[in-house]
Amino acid sequence: MPDRIDIHILDALQDDIPLVARPYATIASQLGITETDLLERVKRLHEAGIIREISPVLESRHMGLSAGTLIALHVPEEKVQETAAIISSFPEVSHNFQREHYYSLWFTISARSEERIGKVLAEILERTGISEKDVLDLPTVKKLKINVRFTFMPPHKQEDAFGSP
Amino acid sequence: MCVLHSCHPTNRRMRLDPLDVRLLRELENGLPLVPEPFEEVGKRLGLDGAEVLMRIRNLQAAGVIRKFRARINQRLVGISANALVAWKPENTMKSAIGPLLAAFPCVTHCYERQPVPGRWEYTYYTVHHGCTRDAVLAEVRTIADQIGITGYAVLFSTREFKRVPNVRIAENGSDLT
Repeated sequence: MPDRIDIHILDALQDDIPLVARPYATIASQLGITETDLLERVKRLHEAGIIREISPVLESRHMGLSAGTLIALHVPEEKVQETAAIISSFPEVSHNFQREHYYSLWFTISARSEERIGKVLAEILERTGISEKDVLDLPTVKKLKINVRFTFMPPHKQEDAFGSP
Repeated sequence: MCVLHSCHPTNRRMRLDPLDVRLLRELENGLPLVPEPFEEVGKRLGLDGAEVLMRIRNLQAAGVIRKFRARINQRLVGISANALVAWKPENTMKSAIGPLLAAFPCVTHCYERQPVPGRWEYTYYTVHHGCTRDAVLAEVRTIADQIGITGYAVLFSTREFKRVPNVRIAENGSDLT
């Protein structure tokens, strides 16, 4: 499990990385540790799978993905696994979760146009054998917020001066 | 004219040159964990570190790069409850509810979506994360009480089959830009 310093690192790395030649040195100095120590810990957290990677979040509209939808399917429990595997194999699908509901599989499709989304969905339904009446197609009207940031410390600890015992 | 997002400057599409695309593709594998990571990325593309940084700043200013941060696997640090909440506002509050929902700090995603008339009348969706289901439910109830909305469904995830960034240049490159 991550220790207290790791927690502070995970917190800091969820902000934008400083766009300077030595960004890890900048972050390390803010945390009161050395660049070497920071890099060793980040590598360890990466190897443990806690940090997936440090990467840019791209705005989908700028990248030609201007249409999006959320699809919900009613799938019998015994068919969930194989149905989900087919759905996940499509590059246009980025999120695919089973949820506790009559509509048990929920996934997103992004593509350059609504027409393309329609084609992908039709292909998914054909390959999984799910009928139209078991589908909810919920096209995106407006993205109001995307801000994934996790808080690992209880609120009263967040101001805790780092380095004190 | 101002329809949805179109009046916002960052929503004008930037023309990416081939080097920008290669740079973004390189960065999506993760910033190298070395003291001078931009220099390292530059070496792979035949650029120096300063040019890499300048291109990243331009892409950020144009709104192509929204954030540049670590992706965390929250389940491995104990945040294992995840819920999608579907909201069904009453007629009088329809357009006001989106910004209200989005304003809650615990909401990580907020979308307005088309309903399926007669079958599924929910129009707003939020995503919530927490250490326990009870914590997430308490959070959702607080929001419902504060906004004064009674029609909502909490959909906890039980299995995660796929979770990758929305835009992946390496995987769907030919369909992009």
